[in-house]
Amino acid sequence: MAAAPTTQSAGTLCHRLPGPWKLGLCLAVIVCGLLTPIGSWPVYGVLGTLVFIGHTVAEVPLGYLARRLAVFLPLLLMLSISLPAVEGFRRGSDIMAAILFRGSLSFLTVLWLIRVLPFAELLKTLTRLRVPALLVAMLAFMHRYALLLWSELSRMRVARSARTFGRAERHFRWKTSAQMIGMLLIRGMSRAERVHQAMCARGWDGQFRQNEQPREAEQMPIQATD
Amino acid sequence: MHVADGILSVPVAGVAALASAAAVGISLRQLRDRVADRIVPFTGMMAALVFAGQMVNFPLFGTLVSGHLMGGVLAAVVLGPYAGCLALTLVLLVQCLLFADGGLMALGVNVLHMAVVGSMGGYAVYAVLRRMLGGGPRAALAAAIAASWLSVMAAAALFCLEFRLSWPRADYDFSKIFTLMITLHSAIGVGEAVITGVIVSFVLRQRPDLIVPDTASGSSVVSLRGLAAGVVGALAIAAFVAPFASPHPDGLEAVSQRAEFASLAREQTVTALADYEFPSLVPRWQSAPAWQMVSVSLAGILGTLSVLCLAIVLGRALRSPPPRDVSVE
Repeated sequence: MAAAPTTQSAGTLCHRLPGPWKLGLCLAVIVCGLLTPIGSWPVYGVLGTLVFIGHTVAEVPLGYLARRLAVFLPLLLMLSISLPAVEGFRRGSDIMAAILFRGSLSFLTVLWLIRVLPFAELLKTLTRLRVPALLVAMLAFMHRYALLLWSELSRMRVARSARTFGRAERHFRWKTSAQMIGMLLIRGMSRAERVHQAMCARGWDGQFRQNEQPREAEQMPIQATD
Repeated sequence: MHVADGILSVPVAGVAALASAAAVGISLRQLRDRVADRIVPFTGMMAALVFAGQMVNFPLFGTLVSGHLMGGVLAAVVLGPYAGCLALTLVLLVQCLLFADGGLMALGVNVLHMAVVGSMGGYAVYAVLRRMLGGGPRAALAAAIAASWLSVMAAAALFCLEFRLSWPRADYDFSKIFTLMITLHSAIGVGEAVITGVIVSFVLRQRPDLIVPDTASGSSVVSLRGLAAGVVGALAIAAFVAPFASPHPDGLEAVSQRAEFASLAREQTVTALADYEFPSLVPRWQSAPAWQMVSVSLAGILGTLSVLCLAIVLGRALRSPPPRDVSVE
């Protein structure tokens, strides 16, 4: 669960596109990929080239793509490889190829979006698209706390395996895992309470304001508030 | 539980997205009228929590298969139905936009299943059951367990319905797909009920104030909630009828066959199934004839029984240890 990489190469053409355009482009490519009938390879070729050009212009490092695909492709392959067995080889292999292509296309498109649309800009884009302010504010909070809770969870995991020497019976694992989430919930809610009090103390009036040029510190997704 | 892009037809996904947007709109309006400023950090935190909680694996059958929390009922039990629905919506949005999980097109469907049915519908069942059982902490626990199971089954039934509407041709045996779906989901539902049960009982022991007392006032809210709970219950029951669905075209199908997407159905039905859950089980199921029907009903009965046992056991467990002091960090 790594943080979405942000603006290391912020100068490219793709990064400078307006946010709604980026979102719209991605949606268009994915919808085209889904609506194209199985076997229309020329259309797939065009879409693939489009995504390739997008990645090249945005200067997405190959290593990053390779790492992400290495996680995603085996999953997709496992799903699709069972198809020739069910459907007969000829038809099945066509469908399998189509699934592989569609899946990778959607995945690569979203990876491009993640790369060129940093989270702060996503929030701005959503605001411009008239997503209700309340929802955007909640999204900002969620983004801020997700990684924090994640690292807290990993600390709890370390503590558990330190106490069980990494081995535990299934029943015990279920119980402790659920209790870990429960503990996280209690801590999270206490933190939310403190955050709310701190917000009130600083004159929170229900409105979020965003700096046009985020400071260096705001590039860090999470900072402990207490 | 995530439906990926390409499983349902574009019209069905569109209708689901509209329904989800309406539910999210209603939730936002309800919250704006009430405690808007306080709910912002709490909902954000809850969304982050469900997000992190979904990363915790619960091992099943060795280490190959594992389940995880979905969290709809949990979020609603702590924050109420509207904020719970929003929290789950945010989780799905982030999973889709930042981690390429699910799909942009299927987002509406996923929100409908997990946020609207899971959280709002689940809360309706929870509130009605809790009131019926007397309203104490043990009633809350039993109600949360039952609501988790029912909401998963209701979502599965809803998926079957959407799937049927998406692929109108009768060239694929829907009863087999539905049997597989319902059997899997009655197991998934039991897992969800167990996890939610343990978490809720833990929270009730440590911080009982977090599990909100029911603040419903006015008969209209209560009757509306009863209606929602009824719908969820009916869907869950329908889940066990779904495998008996007739393979012959009916009135509904005749209508949908007129739509453009009928021609797409043939080449995509298999794709559709394969994307969802465990495709490798299908051939085995096809060779088992009458057993399917029986096993679905059996799964339903077993699921209900195990949820009942769970509610009793956890209800007992809740009585024993006194509240301990848990300080943060």
